[in-house]
Amino acid sequence: MVENARSINIVASLILLVGIIYILGPLYLTLTTASHSYEFMLQNGLVWSPGDEFFVNIRRIFTETSIPRQMINSLIVALGDAIATCVLSFLSAYAIVYFRTRWAGVVFALILATVILPLDMRFVTTYQVASNVFSPINALLDATGLNDLIAALFGAPFHMEWSILNTHAGLVIPLLAHGMGTFLFRQFFLTLPRDLFKAARMDGAGPIRFLVDILLPLSRSTFASLFVLTFLSGWTQYLWPLVASSTADMQTAVVGLARLVPDEGAVPDYPLIMAGAILVSIVPLSMIALLQRYLVQGLILSEK
Amino acid sequence: MNAVDTAIHVAAKSIRLADVTKAYGKVNVIPSLDIEFRSGEFTVILGPSGCGKSTLLQMIAGLERVTNGKILFGGKEVQDLEPKQRGCAMVFQNYALYPHMTVAENMSYSLKVAGMTKPERQARVKIVAGMLGLGDYLDRKPGQLSGGQRQRVAIGRAIIREPGVLLFDEPLSNLDAQLRHDTRIELADLHRRIGATTVFVTHDQVEAMTLADRILILNKGQVEQFDTPKAIYHRPASVFVAKFIGSPPMNILPAQGDGSVLRLSDGQVVGEYGLKGDFQLGIRPENVVVEQGMSGGLAAPVRFREDLGSHSIISVDIAGTPVRIATPFGGVVPDYTRLAVTFPMKALHLFDGQTGKAIPEGFGVASKDGK
Ligand SMILES: Nc1ncnc2c1ncn2[C@@H]1O[C@H](COP(=O)(O)OP(=O)(O)OP(=O)(O)O)[C@@H](O)[C@H]1O
Ligand SMILES: [Mg+2]
Repeated sequence: MVENARSINIVASLILLVGIIYILGPLYLTLTTASHSYEFMLQNGLVWSPGDEFFVNIRRIFTETSIPRQMINSLIVALGDAIATCVLSFLSAYAIVYFRTRWAGVVFALILATVILPLDMRFVTTYQVASNVFSPINALLDATGLNDLIAALFGAPFHMEWSILNTHAGLVIPLLAHGMGTFLFRQFFLTLPRDLFKAARMDGAGPIRFLVDILLPLSRSTFASLFVLTFLSGWTQYLWPLVASSTADMQTAVVGLARLVPDEGAVPDYPLIMAGAILVSIVPLSMIALLQRYLVQGLILSEK
Repeated sequence: MNAVDTAIHVAAKSIRLADVTKAYGKVNVIPSLDIEFRSGEFTVILGPSGCGKSTLLQMIAGLERVTNGKILFGGKEVQDLEPKQRGCAMVFQNYALYPHMTVAENMSYSLKVAGMTKPERQARVKIVAGMLGLGDYLDRKPGQLSGGQRQRVAIGRAIIREPGVLLFDEPLSNLDAQLRHDTRIELADLHRRIGATTVFVTHDQVEAMTLADRILILNKGQVEQFDTPKAIYHRPASVFVAKFIGSPPMNILPAQGDGSVLRLSDGQVVGEYGLKGDFQLGIRPENVVVEQGMSGGLAAPVRFREDLGSHSIISVDIAGTPVRIATPFGGVVPDYTRLAVTFPMKALHLFDGQTGKAIPEGFGVASKDGK
């Protein structure tokens, strides 16, 4: 801070304090609510004082809901998203930065476009493709008239169907079409000395050796940053898992939590829901606590 | 020390570029080059920024492909080979050390890739580290070294494979003046000891003059002159070379010959000369003679003086062209606002008025370097 006056310090501290209350208040209320029984809540509403039913509620999550099974789904989705994003981004950034590829600029622009056009905006088309992976090919063959030809030759037009809805792959793959990781790695590669690649070639290392011996060890902390960021975003995805999974044992924990609210009528069992919410947040929270350094690094890098 | 030195043996190879051209898309960076670097020779490539020095070096290294023509190492065509198959090594301007590897790992990486066993690698690292005075730093990472030490690691990494051809791309330009001077002397010594055919790119003429057996002066991808430092200084082949070498560089003035005398553009007579036509007259600052009586000779109004202690540089105008005069060592020139100077005929260089090429039969120029 450039200014050092006392009054400014006090004002800044006050603003921070308000911010902290704003964030921690609801979290605290979550905790207290999770520690009362449903009956207590029906009588008293949401209260700020803690009760003694917390572990009972946690046990009910394990016995009465699909949340544990759904947390495993979440783990698969978040890990799959994080690992696949890391590998794909690393490789595509490598190709873009280190090879004089034709159209490299166009490819990179398209990759960046996925940042501007996230999944939420391409929802309907993504759903259509996920419900039949071959639909783009079918449509292309229909539009170009090739299918008429195929129908004339083979007796039937080319038309195949393969739905990945309600599978783990179907939950993960659409999340991968996101250019942020490629961008992150590209930015990192550009900070490395330009002649490193040439030096490795002079030393006799081909492109793969360079990738494994030089680039991979240097990229460790970028990997960690991207892994944390995509894991968290994978864990907290809501909209896509909601539509892409139709059965309770395929849904992710976040979707499962929302489903604990009854569709109509009865007052929701808030203590149970809050206990579930706490359970579901433990994974990302501990991740943030352990890998905070990389998270901050990743956020800074992705803003450059 | 000599006992370990003998452990690096290189088989130096000559390098020949036969009608080599290089174009990036439509940009013709090197129109056509046909030159030979002799086996074991230390050649310095000198030229302005963007003239294609790095491109040329990388074609020799195998990092860039030639568009046309051939490159021969010791008579063998190599233009289609990968760098590792050519047996050459390169030192880069920014060192390009592997940041995550120790000094020892950096130097021995090429040996590791080539499949040499660990004990053999360690033995070689020891020899090279000994030669370069890096023995105490083998376990450090490049980030923990000074610029000069990094430079040595880069050199060590290059010579450890005993390359027949050693390439340097402005390796000293990131060092401060003192370190650059010391490293220059070490490089000359190293070259004497290992004897690889060396091509060294720089745009520092002092490096070129002191290190080179021969200097190749490039301009827009073409050879201006390829000769010994002495010949380049005393018999520049063109105005470009004349202006490029020497500190301060050679003065160039337009002049006309009318068949009997040579005149400057304002009509003042420089001396007798038999040819007609437009010329460019060159004279080195140290060869301009200041007349004692401050009269006679050419009129030279003084613009400013720089006193360097051992001598002074006086900037004057002669026939409207800025001319710099270097006074002899310890020489004192009175603080006049106007001088009278003469150009001794045998110190004059004559270049064609249009092409800028030297006119060899100028004034018996050939005798000027004392031969
Ligand atoms: N990959 C490339 N694509 C297109 N043009 C290039 C490429 N590399 C170099 N050039 C062009 O080729 C010319 C020569 O470049 P080069 O790097 O060889 O110059 P240089 O003599 O080494 O200059 P400097 O002294 O600044 O290092 C420059 O005009 C440059 O713009
Ligand atoms: Mg260069």
